[in-house]
Amino acid sequence: MLANYEVSQAEKKFIGLHLLFAVIAVSIGSLFGPLQALEHSGLDLYPYLQPIFKSYYQGLTIHGVLNALVFTTFFITGFLTLTTIYGLKRPLRYPKLNAVGFWMMVVGLVTAAIPILADEATVLYTFYPPMKAHWAFYLGLTLVVVGSWIEGYGMYFTYYAWRKENPGVRTPLTTFGGLITMVMWQIATLGVAAEILTMLLPWSLGLIEGTDPQLARTYFWFTGHPLVYFWLLPAYVSWYGMLPKQAGGKLFSDSLARFAFWLFLLLSVPLGFHHQYVDPGVPAGWKFLHAILTYSVFIPSMLTAFTVVASLEYAGRKRGGKGLLGWIRALPWGDPIVAAQLLAGILFFFGGIGGITNASYNVNLVVHNTAWVPGHFHLTVASAVTLSFMGISYWLVPYLTGKKLAVSNKFALAQVWTWFVGMMIFSNAMHVVGLLGAPRRTPLGLAPYIPEEWSGHLLRVGIGGTIMFFGMYMYVYIVAKTAWSKKAEPANVEVPLAESVQDPQDTPEWLDKWVPWLIGTVALLLVAYGPQLIDQISNISLTSPGFKVW
Amino acid sequence: MAEHKNSDNGEFHPKGTWVILLIFVVTLILLWGSVYVILLSRGVTV
Amino acid sequence: MTEKQSMHIDPYEKNWIRLSIGLLVVFALAVTIAGFAMGIQVPSPEARVDPRTVADEGPWAEPGLRELAPGKYEAYVLAQTWQFTPREMTIPAGSEVTFYITSKDVQHGFKLQNTNINVMVIPGQVSKLSVKIDEPGRYDYICTEFCGLGHAAMFGTLIVE
Ligand code: HEM
Ligand SMILES: [Cu+2]
Ligand SMILES: [Cu+2]
Repeated sequence: MLANYEVSQAEKKFIGLHLLFAVIAVSIGSLFGPLQALEHSGLDLYPYLQPIFKSYYQGLTIHGVLNALVFTTFFITGFLTLTTIYGLKRPLRYPKLNAVGFWMMVVGLVTAAIPILADEATVLYTFYPPMKAHWAFYLGLTLVVVGSWIEGYGMYFTYYAWRKENPGVRTPLTTFGGLITMVMWQIATLGVAAEILTMLLPWSLGLIEGTDPQLARTYFWFTGHPLVYFWLLPAYVSWYGMLPKQAGGKLFSDSLARFAFWLFLLLSVPLGFHHQYVDPGVPAGWKFLHAILTYSVFIPSMLTAFTVVASLEYAGRKRGGKGLLGWIRALPWGDPIVAAQLLAGILFFFGGIGGITNASYNVNLVVHNTAWVPGHFHLTVASAVTLSFMGISYWLVPYLTGKKLAVSNKFALAQVWTWFVGMMIFSNAMHVVGLLGAPRRTPLGLAPYIPEEWSGHLLRVGIGGTIMFFGMYMYVYIVAKTAWSKKAEPANVEVPLAESVQDPQDTPEWLDKWVPWLIGTVALLLVAYGPQLIDQISNISLTSPGFKVW
Repeated sequence: MAEHKNSDNGEFHPKGTWVILLIFVVTLILLWGSVYVILLSRGVTV
Repeated sequence: MTEKQSMHIDPYEKNWIRLSIGLLVVFALAVTIAGFAMGIQVPSPEARVDPRTVADEGPWAEPGLRELAPGKYEAYVLAQTWQFTPREMTIPAGSEVTFYITSKDVQHGFKLQNTNINVMVIPGQVSKLSVKIDEPGRYDYICTEFCGLGHAAMFGTLIVE
């Protein structure tokens, strides 16, 4: 049904560049993760880094920015470029436009990296004012975001051209999911754009005296929650659109997959107050509304869980799996690409449970800003997403470079399992010690209030983090060795697009129409955010001058 | 919505999927419930 | 929509969706009861202040405990890099304390260990939550938001006698 399509060498190179920057980012950003984990367990290596990195917090800023913002954004824009053109079987409509977007992201990255490395922007990746970074930090972030918008526009133009050539044809699922991700992202980032352009950038340039920190948080979390769906949806694109084929089966339900993506567009943004449950400046009623909306965005994730697991069951049974659960063993666990995504799914099982807990309104009082929270999102962004991206890399890098993975299958499998085992230990310990009251964003070795009973859990944080260190750099090694090896065997890899049990042409037409869904999205946004935004903006008071406290 | 049987799908019932997801739901109730109990045990705030 | 074009929801999946929605409704009821009936609530806007002057005039010029009635206190707490004022407060067991917390510089957090007091402290805003503690002991209040180099050492203690 989906005949092979040859992506041009130039486009492969373009996508590969995205990956290159992503992997460089995660390989630098991840240096600090294990250092943080070891610090928690009592081994403080920061004094040795002093000549280069000034503090735990500078490292944590690098860790958050490079891993959560840069690695993800570069990987995602690259991956979605491929799913767009490969799905549509046509080249980018305006390749130069996409190139402009990409290089703008690179320039932004460099612009933001300089003050971070110079210890002039140790404000963590949430950059809450009135902590004041160098203006280049805010400018750089803006360029990264705008660059990603432009890459998104490039994808829309390509889609539009395809649509005119192919009226009435259902948009291929991976393209469809990718486009929804980009549209959602462009709506979501309006918040942080408003924050930086109306407050932080003029303030850091000395044009205005102060900021309104509460309003800044509201702007930030308008973007901050959907940011997690920007990370997650590309992994879903792979789980829905590729994993069924990689596992040897078909997608269980094409129409429900599409329906879930629409619900994510509709519901990803209007619920940012669930990150502000304990903010003093937001009324409890609005927090409660966002709690209910947050519960509703679990529905598409529950749908995803069912459809993906059912697709796997279908595959496992086709491969001869018997009995109620025998199909699990029959899945191709020996394939690191599949194993990575299966293990990512298992970790996400726990990530989802933690997520519902965080989202549960007053239950957030128990966990807010404790170590539980990083414990949680290492299961989501650093596992469901990152581990899936690792698995994707194991076909994507060969596909783009034309070279087979430069390591044995066993080694790649070991990489995947190492990350999984390290993460199970690390995240469990972080959750437990967070419930006991340990704060996040804190070098606990320096904290005078740590009770003895935490130490066993903190030790497990260090052990898990160390194992994750090996998992991460085995990955970097595999990708780097493959990319740079000269005489590796040629690879014969195709983009693994899954077929669906149901012919996509049979999905209802309303699942392939943008306008009603976009109208619904904007309407819901106005209801859920409009009154509070108007209230907070009309009561703005720019009374907080900047501080450099590091 | 009309039930539409696809020939390929006729035999397949995702029973194992249900088992897995039931395990998920039970774990979710237990873990969520234990944090909820911690919340209740730590007292009122207004 | 033609007969052929249908949503096609497998009955197993339909039941799964029903179960998921049911579960979320139960959770929503549970948090609603805890919040609106039992009084385990999240903070709401209390007042706005000017962080540039809040430490010089008004109640945060002299932070501390004030006894309103026997067993009933309010505590004005000022957060700044990198300390809470006051650093120590003492109340008898069984009393109720309402905290009014603000910051004169950057954002901080205020978490009273082993209670449900856990709020952001944001310059320009007043964070208000109450607690009633029956069990005697030392309850640390720690800063839970990154506020600069001394953040890890920022804490105080509520002594319940
Ligand atoms: C290499 C293995 C890794 C280890 C051992 C690790 C460990 C940690 C630890 C211990 C913290 C908490 C620090 C604190 O709250 O004081 C943390 C924070 C964080 N990590 Fe990781 N991490 C790793 C990889 C990753 C990856 C791959 C990502 C994302 C793709 C990631 C994203 C984050 C983010 C966003 C934060 C929060 C930063 C903040 O609070 O400002 N980490 N990490
Ligand atoms: Cu969120
Ligand atoms: Cu602090």
